[in-house]
Amino acid sequence: MKTDTRHASADDPRVFLDEQVGIFEQIPPYPPQTEREAEFYTLRDGEMFINIGPHHPSTHGVLRVIMKIDGENVVDLDPVLGYLHRGVEKLCENADFHHTIAYMDPLEYVASLFCEWPAVMAYEKLLDVEVPRRAEYVRVLTGELNRISSHALAMGFHALDLGGLTPILYSFIERDEIVELLASITGQRMLFNYYRIGGVNGDLNHDFMSRLGTWMSRAATHIEANTGLLNENEIFVRRNRGLGAMDSQTALRMCWTGPNLRATGVPFDIRRAHPYSVYPELDFDVPTRSEGDALARYLIRIDEIKQSLRIIDQCLHEMPDGPITAKLPRLLRPRPGRAFASVEGPRGEYAIYAVSDGTDQPFRFRIHDPSFLHLQSFNLLMEGRLIADWMAINASLDPIMGGVDK
Amino acid sequence: MDRALARRLEARFGTMLAGRARQRHDETEIRIAASDVPEVLRALHDEPEFGFELLADLAGVDTGEVMQVVYHLWSATSPDWLRVIADGLPREAPRAPSVTFLWKGAEWLEREAFDMFGITFEGNRDLRRIFMPPDYTSFPLRKDFYLADDAARSPGAGVRHMERTHEPTNTPDDERLRRVRA
Amino acid sequence: MTVVARTWNRLTLPGKVVFTVVPLLVVLAVALVVALALFGEAVLEILGANLPIVRFAVAATAILLMTIPTAFLIIYMEMKGIALMNLRIGPDRVGPFGSLLSVVHGLKVLMKEDFTPTGADPTVFTLAPVVVYLSAVMALLVIPFGPGLFGVDMNIALLYFFAVGGLTVVGLLMGGWASFNKYSLLGGLRSAAQIISYEIPLTLSVVGVLILAGTMSLNQLVQNQAGWFTDWYIWQQPLGALIFFIAATAEANRTPFDLTEADSEIVAGFATEYSGMRFGFFFFAEYVNVFIVSALMVTLFFGGWNAPFPFPATSLELDPASLGIGLLLLIAIVPVVATLVFAAPFWLLRPAWPAWYGLVIGFVLFNLVAVAAVVGWAYVSFDWVAGLVWFLVKTYFFVFVFVWMRGTLPRVRIDQLMNFAWKWLMELAFINIFITAGAILVIDALSSGS
Repeated sequence: MKTDTRHASADDPRVFLDEQVGIFEQIPPYPPQTEREAEFYTLRDGEMFINIGPHHPSTHGVLRVIMKIDGENVVDLDPVLGYLHRGVEKLCENADFHHTIAYMDPLEYVASLFCEWPAVMAYEKLLDVEVPRRAEYVRVLTGELNRISSHALAMGFHALDLGGLTPILYSFIERDEIVELLASITGQRMLFNYYRIGGVNGDLNHDFMSRLGTWMSRAATHIEANTGLLNENEIFVRRNRGLGAMDSQTALRMCWTGPNLRATGVPFDIRRAHPYSVYPELDFDVPTRSEGDALARYLIRIDEIKQSLRIIDQCLHEMPDGPITAKLPRLLRPRPGRAFASVEGPRGEYAIYAVSDGTDQPFRFRIHDPSFLHLQSFNLLMEGRLIADWMAINASLDPIMGGVDK
Repeated sequence: MDRALARRLEARFGTMLAGRARQRHDETEIRIAASDVPEVLRALHDEPEFGFELLADLAGVDTGEVMQVVYHLWSATSPDWLRVIADGLPREAPRAPSVTFLWKGAEWLEREAFDMFGITFEGNRDLRRIFMPPDYTSFPLRKDFYLADDAARSPGAGVRHMERTHEPTNTPDDERLRRVRA
Repeated sequence: MTVVARTWNRLTLPGKVVFTVVPLLVVLAVALVVALALFGEAVLEILGANLPIVRFAVAATAILLMTIPTAFLIIYMEMKGIALMNLRIGPDRVGPFGSLLSVVHGLKVLMKEDFTPTGADPTVFTLAPVVVYLSAVMALLVIPFGPGLFGVDMNIALLYFFAVGGLTVVGLLMGGWASFNKYSLLGGLRSAAQIISYEIPLTLSVVGVLILAGTMSLNQLVQNQAGWFTDWYIWQQPLGALIFFIAATAEANRTPFDLTEADSEIVAGFATEYSGMRFGFFFFAEYVNVFIVSALMVTLFFGGWNAPFPFPATSLELDPASLGIGLLLLIAIVPVVATLVFAAPFWLLRPAWPAWYGLVIGFVLFNLVAVAAVVGWAYVSFDWVAGLVWFLVKTYFFVFVFVWMRGTLPRVRIDQLMNFAWKWLMELAFINIFITAGAILVIDALSSGS
């Protein structure tokens, strides 16, 4: 540490800093390292940098975006990630297989079950374990409930970022009921830690079934009422129509998945394209729209909620009896090898690539998150738009920074 | 397990594959050298008999002996996931070609592999750190990265004395490096 | 330490306040009484000679003091109203149904740390909230709250009102610029663009009313609308009223036009760097602005302080002094008897409750009835009470409409907002003027021809 050129900080004279913090700091405080950085950080006449986040009401987490603006027009932007980077992949390399499932929950914390699911699927492939059918149905049921709660939250925050204070509270009524349902079987309202290798951690109980029945009977009308607040609202529609339009070829090149990709016209849903669990036996549609703008992404989420309700209905009717976990030894030693598992989460394809070396700890545990790739496309979507449009686009893409930053 | 896919791959890429295409459950895996990556992936992406349009994942792997870049692809022509392992990158200065010419979305995935492993992707316009701060010097997911030593080496200006609570250990790399034949 | 110092250290904060303030008040009261006794006559003579100035000073002070409770009330309405629209409860704990919460907020902003950010221009930074607040208060000087209840009756009152309303822009720009913060700068510029854009439809939309009334004096305008509610200008100028309402929403920076303080985009806009009482000034100024535009809407289009239908002139001749000693007996007996009378039903029908419940309920009900009786007598006896009541009822109805819009609507974007102002509202306002002028010409021609 340099001890001869230390300056007292202006905020707290007991703290000494190596460099004096000036008011006019360079952005960035180091010379540009790549061509893109050099291109981005050169200012033309009339442009200035503004920093959105990481502490911001609309960034859906700790996302920092450095925008180059010319008045209200956004000329360019550079998302800076890593504010929520917790080193989950490294942590998982030093943890047992069972512990890694608990590490998976806080990644996409609003859709935790979809984070656990590919992990347990990858382990089941490495251990060659077959999951009992009842467990698969329970996984699908709870997963679809989690999808509805995640989409309800996404819609609420979409409206909140545009200034509507009310729809979020209406969608949180649904979300609250669903997390209470899931709490009655998993014990947790949010980071569930419910799926286990070979099944789930506890059967459905009477409390869950009765509350689910009550909720299902009014869920559809509630969703209609909630969406009625926004779908015909002139201001909401005008803010969203035509905004952030992406065509299908570009979306595939940007590696988009999930509702954002389906809004551009590509009917890719992993539940249909590469079926897993008991989805081949269930009957549901894959909503697809072709406009690719923010309004299409919003409407697709509503359609997906309705399809999820259909799936839950079928699960309830067709659920078989049987064990809910497979019989496994206490100390798991999978075969050395590699496994890749991918599920359709509410934001897109959530995937795990696990490399095992024969011990009870994974050797490499790669987490693939869909929001990471959606955030990459801001430059394309923000051509010639205003600052306020960034909020709307961000809300319609619905990223969750826990997954982006791992 | 799509045997037809394995046959097509071996027929098309023959000598470029190191060994046969291996299959387990619903995945097919091929290994290629890092220098063949652009040609193989372009063939997989563009040719209609393959049509692997969707890049599901791009990961770096440090096996303890070599580094690998692992691509996962999906195609409508096959019910399997295709795993392409670009093998044999040296651990000291790993370099691999970039696939941003096919999928622009791979730019950030390659940035992440660079940040975590130090794999330099030639052809990526924006290869800088993505999660760690830009002046960070280590590559966290490498097998010789030991967190306490890294924290002990870091500058830790002013009040952050916690990061200097212990001096770096001098355990030789061989003893604590985990390895896998992967 | 001395006894005084030790005692002072042992006191809590409220104790310190009491022990400081009470002696001061006592000294002030004594001084006031002495001064009145010595100089009372002379002062009254001087005041009597300059009555208009005295009247203006009293009115200005009253308005300044009145803005604070008004802001408190509107803040509470907004918090509670939006909460109920959001299916929440809102303020609940402080006072009955949380009604004292805004008072507590007001005290809280006084007690916050007062700092100026590094790099900010301290003079401009401090003056910006003052300018915004004063422009709001100055606009209240011309609004007629009742017959005879106005600050100044100018014959260019409406013009003065719009001129003073434009001062807000200066204050917002000062706040945005002096904060040394790019978000604040954006917010200040957005607000300047928005307010200036909507000044034009705002002023044009009332030109129709001006043509009809022939005067800019707000007092005269209200008197023109006396009589039945069909005499109100809303029926003759519906388009003008609509344009005025929309432009006024934008002038007051309310949703759906609240992008200057869009808290999901630029955090708090021009007010990002403000805290404590400076932010309190901005905050109050916004709600006083809401009150002002509602008041102006009511004055121009909804009859001001006129009742919807003319009440027959009644007069209650009450002369309590004539009762003599009976008055004292009345004051002693009536509350007790009324409490018992109101408590009786609860005693009879709810035997499970303790006896004192009934007494408390009875006393509360007696108080309510007594207050209602006094208000009713004041309403009937003084015309300004009646006017004030109607004015406040109508104004707070429009305040509630603003609160309602905030809870329901999302926000527009700056370019959509400017488009709307310049391409739609201004044209509609012009069309409104032409139609009004044309209609007047036609009606005049018809009436003079026939």
